[in-house]
Amino acid sequence: MGTQLSQYFPVLMLFGVAAGFAFGTLAFSVIAGKVGRRTRTKDIPYECGMLPEGPGSARMSVKFFLVALLFVLFDIEVVFMYPWAVNYRDMLKTNAPLALGGMVSFLGILFVGYVYALKKRAFDWRS
Amino acid sequence: MNHSLITTEILVILLGLGVLLADLWIRPESRPALGWLAASLLGCILALSLGALTPHDGSAFGGMYVLDGLARYFKGFFLLAGILVILMTVEFRHRLPVGLSEFFALTLFALAGMLFAASANDFILMFVSLELITVTFFVLNSFQRARLPSLEAGVKYLILGGVASAFMIFGIALIFGSANTTNFSLVAAQQAQLAANPVFLTGLMLVLVGLGFKIAAFPFHLWAPDVYQGSPAPATAFLSVGSKAAGFVLLLRVLFGAVPQITSQWQVLLMVTAAITILYGSLCALPQRNFKRLLGYSSIANAGYLLLGVAAESRTGSSAVLYYLGGYFFTVLAIFTVLCSLSSTIDNDEISALNGLGRRSPFLAAALSIGLVSLAGIPPMVGFFGKFQLLAAVLEAARLAPAFYVLLGVAVVGVVLSLYYYFNVIRAMYWGDAPAGVSLIEVSAPARIALLVCLAGVLYLGIAPGGLLRLADGAVAGLKFSPAHAPSVVTAAH
Repeated sequence: MGTQLSQYFPVLMLFGVAAGFAFGTLAFSVIAGKVGRRTRTKDIPYECGMLPEGPGSARMSVKFFLVALLFVLFDIEVVFMYPWAVNYRDMLKTNAPLALGGMVSFLGILFVGYVYALKKRAFDWRS
Repeated sequence: MNHSLITTEILVILLGLGVLLADLWIRPESRPALGWLAASLLGCILALSLGALTPHDGSAFGGMYVLDGLARYFKGFFLLAGILVILMTVEFRHRLPVGLSEFFALTLFALAGMLFAASANDFILMFVSLELITVTFFVLNSFQRARLPSLEAGVKYLILGGVASAFMIFGIALIFGSANTTNFSLVAAQQAQLAANPVFLTGLMLVLVGLGFKIAAFPFHLWAPDVYQGSPAPATAFLSVGSKAAGFVLLLRVLFGAVPQITSQWQVLLMVTAAITILYGSLCALPQRNFKRLLGYSSIANAGYLLLGVAAESRTGSSAVLYYLGGYFFTVLAIFTVLCSLSSTIDNDEISALNGLGRRSPFLAAALSIGLVSLAGIPPMVGFFGKFQLLAAVLEAARLAPAFYVLLGVAVVGVVLSLYYYFNVIRAMYWGDAPAGVSLIEVSAPARIALLVCLAGVLYLGIAPGGLLRLADGAVAGLKFSPAHAPSVVTAAH
C-alpha cells in the first residue's frame, strides 16, 4: 500500500508550499516591515475615497433572497440537462425508457415546485 | 433490470407531491382532513406493498437497490411510522400555525428516503437516501420558526448533520479509491485484500462516523438532547424512530453485508461504543427536568442497547436489533402521541407540567405510563422482551469472548439507572399535585386510535413475541457473519 500512498506525495508537497507561503509572508512582513503611525483618517474603511455615511448593514427585502434561491434551484435544472442531452443518443441504445423517463420525472418534480412557488406568490414582487 | 421494484417508493413520492399541490387549492380549515387522507392512502400503500405491489425479491439499477427480507421488514416499519406520525401531526396542529400541509409533504419525502435506505446496497444510494432524510429533517426540526428552541434545534442539526455528511462522503471517496467500486456485494467479494488496505479502512471508519451520527451513538450524540428538546413533537418522534432505524439498517448492511470480515476484527470497537453510549445516555438522563430532553438522552441509551446486538455479531444479535426496533417503535410513538395530545392544553415540556395528569386524563396518563414502563424494560411490555433478546445475544457471544460479560454488566447498570428517571415521570403524573383550577383533558378520536394501536403493539408484542421474532429472524437471513471470532481479539479486550 506504500505505492498507493506515495502517489499522494505531490499533494502533501502542495500543502507544504501553501502553508509555507502563508506563514512565510506573514513572518516576512513582521520582520522586514515597520510599524506605521495610526491616525483617525488612516483607520477609516476607505482611506483615500468617499467618506462613509450611514450604517454599514442596510436592510434588504427578503424578496431578494427568495428570488436568488429560486434562481439557483432552476439554474441547477439546466446544469443537469446539459450532460443528459449530450449523452442522450448513447443512452437510447442501451435503455431508452429509463433515459427519457428519468429526465421527464425529474422535470415533473421540478414543475410541481414551480407551481408551488407560483401559487405561494414567490414571484410576486409587491406582496 | 427490474425497475418495478421501486413502486412503493414512487407511490410515496407521488403522494408527497400530491399533498403539496392539493394544499394550494384547498381551504385552510380542511388541511387536517388532508392529513387524514394522506395517512389513509399511506395505509393503502402499506397494505399493497406487503404483497401485491412487489411480489418478488430481486435487485435493480445494477445491484444498487435490493429488495430482500431485511428491506421488506424495514419498509413495513417505516410506512407504519409514517402513518402514525402524520396522525400525530394532525393532533399537534395547534402548535403549527403555518405550513401544516408542508409538514405532511416533508414527512412523506423523509419517508421515501427511509424506504430507499432500507434497500440500499451501494454506498452512493446509501448516501443519497440518508441526505434525503437529513435535509428534510433540517426543515422539520426548525418548523416552528417563531420559537427560539426550534430554530436552535434546526441550526444544530444542520451544522452537525452537515459535518457528518462530509465525513461520510469523504469516507465513500476513499472506499471508491481503494476498492474501485461502491457496491456492497462487490466490496464484499474483495474484502480479503481490502482488510489490509489502510486507505479503505480509513474510509470505512469515516462512513461509520456518518452512521453513528444518524443513530446518535457516542461520541456523535451531542446533537440529540438539544434537537429532541427543541423540535416539534411529531418531528422528534419521526427522528427517534425513523431516522434511527434507517441508521441501523444501513449499519447492518455495511457491517454484515459489505465487510463482515473486517467487522469481526472491529468487535472491540463496537463493544466499547455500545458500553459508553449506554452509560452516557443513562447517567445524563438522571438530572433532566425537561421531558423531551429526557427522551433525547433515553434515545442515546437505547442506541447503546441496540449496538449490543450489533456488537454480538451473530444472527441472534441482529434479529434482536430488529425486534427491539419494532418494540421501540410502538413504545416511542405512544409516548409522543400523548405529548401531541397534551400540546393543546399544556404549553411546555417540563416534567413538572405533567403533575396530576393521572386525575386530569386517566387514559393519557395510563398510556404514558405503559410506554415508560416498556422503555424501562419491565415485563410484560415489549421493551422487556427486546432487552431480553439483546442480552441473550450478548450472553451467547460471551461464550466465545468473555469480555462480553463486562458489557452485560454495563447494560444491567443502564437498565437500573433508567428505572429511576422513567419512574420519576410516572411519580409526577400520579403523585404530583395538579396546579389549581385546571380542567380535564379531552382526547380526540384519531389520537385515541393511534394510541390504542401503539398500546396494543406494546402489550401484544411483549406477551406474544413469537411472530415478530420469526419475522426478524427471517429478515436477517441474508446477512453474513464471520464464523470464528479471532482469539487475538478476545485477549485484547481484557
